Amino acid sequence: MSKAAALPTRLAKVAYIGAVLAMCITPFLLVFAISFGEKIEGAAWVWGFQFDNYKRFFVGADYPNSISFLYLKFLWYSLYYAMIASILAVATCFPFVWLMTRLSRRAQTVWLVFFLASLTLSEVFVVMGWDILLSNRSGLPALFKETGLTDLLKETGWFDVLRSWGLASPRNVRFKPTEFATILTMTYLVWPYAVILLYPPLSKINNEIIEAARTMGAGPVTVVRTVVLPMVRTPIVGTVLLLFVFLLGAYVTIAVFAAPEKHTLSISVYEAVRGATLNAPFGSAQAIILLIAAAVVLVFSRMALERGEK
Amino acid sequence: MMKPLSPKPGTAWSPKADQSFLHMSDLILKNIRKAYGHVTAVENANLTFESGKLTALLGPSGCGKTTLLRMIAGLEMPTSGDIILGGENIASKSAEQRKFGMVFQSFALFPHLNVARNVSYSLRIAGVDATTRRAKAQELLELVQLGDKGQRKIGQLSGGQRQRVAIARALAQEPEVFLLDEPMSALDAQLRGDLQMQLRLLQQKLGITTIVVTHDQREAMTMADQIVVMSHGRIEQIGTPQEIYHKPANSFVANFIGNANLLDGIATATGIRVGGTEIAVSDRGSFAAGQAVTLFCRPEAVALHDTEIPNSVPGTVTFVRDEGPAREIHLDTPAGHMTAEIPGSFEATVKIGDRFHAELPDGLLHLLPERSHDDEEAA
Repeated sequence: MSKAAALPTRLAKVAYIGAVLAMCITPFLLVFAISFGEKIEGAAWVWGFQFDNYKRFFVGADYPNSISFLYLKFLWYSLYYAMIASILAVATCFPFVWLMTRLSRRAQTVWLVFFLASLTLSEVFVVMGWDILLSNRSGLPALFKETGLTDLLKETGWFDVLRSWGLASPRNVRFKPTEFATILTMTYLVWPYAVILLYPPLSKINNEIIEAARTMGAGPVTVVRTVVLPMVRTPIVGTVLLLFVFLLGAYVTIAVFAAPEKHTLSISVYEAVRGATLNAPFGSAQAIILLIAAAVVLVFSRMALERGEK
Repeated sequence: MMKPLSPKPGTAWSPKADQSFLHMSDLILKNIRKAYGHVTAVENANLTFESGKLTALLGPSGCGKTTLLRMIAGLEMPTSGDIILGGENIASKSAEQRKFGMVFQSFALFPHLNVARNVSYSLRIAGVDATTRRAKAQELLELVQLGDKGQRKIGQLSGGQRQRVAIARALAQEPEVFLLDEPMSALDAQLRGDLQMQLRLLQQKLGITTIVVTHDQREAMTMADQIVVMSHGRIEQIGTPQEIYHKPANSFVANFIGNANLLDGIATATGIRVGGTEIAVSDRGSFAAGQAVTLFCRPEAVALHDTEIPNSVPGTVTFVRDEGPAREIHLDTPAGHMTAEIPGSFEATVKIGDRFHAELPDGLLHLLPERSHDDEEAA
């Protein structure tokens, strides 16, 4: 290709890459810039360059007169819920996907279509279903009471155990608001994603590798433990991290199932930007810190994985 | 070219150590049948795999040889029949209980483990301590001449090296029976030839009962003490390579193993009448005179003459394939199409259109049952 003909092609490539970068970076840069802005009491906010929003996040607005770790606690719950739910989702999903890949091609396709279809359910829809299922008056607690299961739990002493875990009131089992319900719903929410992410690496494992292990004396559990799991370690960690990042932004689940003192930054950010306080700069600062925290988790996980591979 | 395997002085795989593989029992298959719904993959297989010998299961794709091997390994359960080893019927035992070492077509090495850990995998599963595992893996890698490759990743090995790792890994558990499923099919022709010799020497050194599945008759002839030729789930013939080659049981075996001249005719008191010519056959079997039969003769047994001689048919050359050491001469004769193999030469001694008399030496001819179209298609 001549230089004259190559120039328009190169310009087009540069323009395309520039447009993609602008679309990716501009919103982030805007949020980053706003995070240094200033909230005007009783009005909107103005551009600025001050660190008060970040200071408020880490030690509270009234520091040094008083200190508050409220938003650090929200950050902790964001990371905690997301990590536990993503690990639980992958851990419970893995055996299912492994067994699924051993089925006939036709059966595998049916299952995959089912899980792809289930992705059309929005978070709101899923939470609504679990809200009904776990509600004290019409859900599982009512079923426990009506069937006499609650009394049985009381007789066997398990009711006190559930109370100590925060899963029962003095009268009946209670799932809302609890960490249990929050994590359970978040796990459910990302389960189809876990299936779809784990399926490709597991389905690629050559069956002869499994049979080779069997001919060397390895039973089904040993095969999974010593061959399958190590072979797909990287995709497993990748899936956990992807689900973790996805769940950091969970909003409806937290709003419905988590106690207010155990809310996450996604709730707090929404409250600041669109809620009662209308403090976009502080909301932006929280979003930036959540982003950095997620990046730190991803980088450390990657480092741990690389060390493990060595 | 790789060096052939030879016992190394000072290695733990001394002849004494090798004795652990000896004095094992024959493996006997009795009426083994495998069906998938209405499709029968293996039909009434009755076989004895002699202890310490190498048997090749030979046949075209889909003949049931791999299914038979997988049933022996315990990876497939027979629909009916017994698999006897040491007087015990092991047909219902799983692959992990039988622990027959097996080399797969794809080698099936574990990509997450290095070479040494691949080899010692079965020992780790069996709970053998790390020091013993390492020592055993090193011994086996020395045995397959990969002693310096223990710490390599599988992805860093060539095809031939991977195959040898797979062999070492299968032998680590000192199996009673060693199984190989098309172990050379993923390798190029040159390497295949080398590894066939190496595998045969290793098997003879260890004296382990070995069963190899292959569709390559040359591979089977090179390695096996006994060849089992299969077609359509049936066993067509069991015999030594020489028996299979020189005295095939039927037209399918004759056609599948090497090149064969198969001429249809009618049995006579002394031989066969083909294309209006009476041909004397020393080994005419028990065919009655007047019965439709097929005359079998290898191309290298056919001699070409300029003048008519007894036990010959006239023919015109239709094609000459020069293979270097030998020439394949294709002839049209009144008895049908024939091939003769003559020594190669720098001079073009034979050309298309030449007329010869193809002598069929009666001592090298055999009569076979009349061939069917199925036989030809399967071969």
